Amino acid sequence: EALLPAPQNISILSTNMKHFLTWNPVIIHGETVRYSVEFQGEYERDYANESWIPISECSLTTATLCNVTEDISAPVAYRLCVRAQVGATRSPWGALQGFFNRATTSLTPPLLKVVADGYHLLVELEDLGPACQFHVLYWQKGQDSKVQQKVMKEVSSVAHLDTMEAGAEYCVKAQTHVEAINRSSSFSPTQCVRAQGDTSMWLV
Amino acid sequence: TAGNKIFHFGACRVSMSMTEIRAGFTAIKTNIQSRDPIRSLSILSHPHSLHKVKSPDRCCITHHLFDFYVDKVFKHCKTEDSFVNRKISSIANSFLSLRRKLRQCHEQNNCVCGEESTEKLKQILANYEGLNVTSAAMKSLGELDILLDWME
Amino acid sequence: SGELYCSLPNPRNVHFESINMKNVLHWSAPAGTGNGVLYKVKYLVYGVGKWIRKPECRNINTTWCDLSSETSDYEEQYYASVKAFLNGMCSDWVETTRFNPLTDTKIDPPMISVSSTDNSISIILTAPEKWKRSPEEESISLLQVYPGLQYNVSVLNKKTKKRWLFSISNNTLVVPWLEPGTAYCVSAQIHVTTPLLDSGFSKEHCIATLKDK
Repeated sequence: EALLPAPQNISILSTNMKHFLTWNPVIIHGETVRYSVEFQGEYERDYANESWIPISECSLTTATLCNVTEDISAPVAYRLCVRAQVGATRSPWGALQGFFNRATTSLTPPLLKVVADGYHLLVELEDLGPACQFHVLYWQKGQDSKVQQKVMKEVSSVAHLDTMEAGAEYCVKAQTHVEAINRSSSFSPTQCVRAQGDTSMWLV
Repeated sequence: TAGNKIFHFGACRVSMSMTEIRAGFTAIKTNIQSRDPIRSLSILSHPHSLHKVKSPDRCCITHHLFDFYVDKVFKHCKTEDSFVNRKISSIANSFLSLRRKLRQCHEQNNCVCGEESTEKLKQILANYEGLNVTSAAMKSLGELDILLDWME
Repeated sequence: SGELYCSLPNPRNVHFESINMKNVLHWSAPAGTGNGVLYKVKYLVYGVGKWIRKPECRNINTTWCDLSSETSDYEEQYYASVKAFLNGMCSDWVETTRFNPLTDTKIDPPMISVSSTDNSISIILTAPEKWKRSPEEESISLLQVYPGLQYNVSVLNKKTKKRWLFSISNNTLVVPWLEPGTAYCVSAQIHVTTPLLDSGFSKEHCIATLKDK
């Protein structure tokens, strides 16, 4: 008869393709409670006798959170479970309610900084990890029908977007896109900057 | 990043990403291949190389190789190494998803098996059955890059 | 020679070092052996399994052997092995891990040529060539080996110290509307997505835009 209750309130926090399993701590006064996490993909359910696979980084951990990103790495439905342990006494497994598919991750728009450097339109984008790339939309103010798009994958420094007409104002917004699940975030707030020079230069 | 690409297997067109499978395999390649001491036999590439397969037969061979890995290979590759087992799980679950996409081509009759592909698949199964199950499965897993290189 | 007594320590760290598919076998001398150690090398095509001796690397005292010619078909995979000899004793054969030229090679940065006008610079990038047996042999660009090859180009304004990054698929880039009489330094990197291979960034090539007329 298990003296140790299974962890409760097990849930997944998933943002921008980074997935964390969390649960409520099991409180046993005067004892250090440790936890172990296991996962099961569709393959394990259908082809490997419903086997479970332990996550070593979250074996006998005292934390109530486990980064499962590396293991939830296929576009299928996963089950996750966690149990508590004090010394040799183990609780029953507590399971995440239902399945988790990474396609349900929440996507946030990237932090975006738009810079005008002379006649050059440049952007700096927050790095959200290897799974995320960015759709950057830009247009000359007043010419909203001529929106251009660039897909940016690696974001390590100031990326060149385009050259601008002298004195013209350009607006930019960006969204996070994850090809593996074919979904995009909402757009970041639009930012506008003005190119060097004055517009009359173009009339000559 | 997980770059989706349009793969053309004869008349079959499928948008897939092999990036995560390749990353998973690269992480365990040396470990898995070191468990395969047999140098004189290849499951996939000898005596006939996959690279000699003609375009119309590519879909059939890819589809059946996905079945081969899901049904025969992954389940016999459990190791004592937790990290390796987790990467194999990642690859196996990715294969399930890709197989579903290829099945659509199969159902739309864009994945016909010609004589050459049937012969090639027979050869692969003969190579596989020429070894004991665990050795054959581990060798096949160690040759995943041969399949990925050919597909890409 | 009669059967040698194989109690010599083994060569260590036997591995391929490959750049642009120039595939050279390297190893370290057996522990505790000074000069005078000689080596033999053999290789095999994975799946064929017949070990083949490399005559040019028989009884050599160097700790490398160029197997580029023998491993030039990048649709195959290979093993290589080394044996050491000293004073009538020998070591065991020591093998590499399985070598896949397509995924295990390193790629050199692209070659860059830069020209300028008063307010623009033009950059032409050339991907390195795959190793070839002789200058007469037909050149194969790594662009043909890795069709998804792209370039990341960094342009540094020496006056403002601002660096811009461009990602391009074709091999030419024109950066217009620059400041006249200003020095810009360009370097570039090759980026292959499948398989995942990146070169380092090339040496910087600096050029100044012409002064305003």
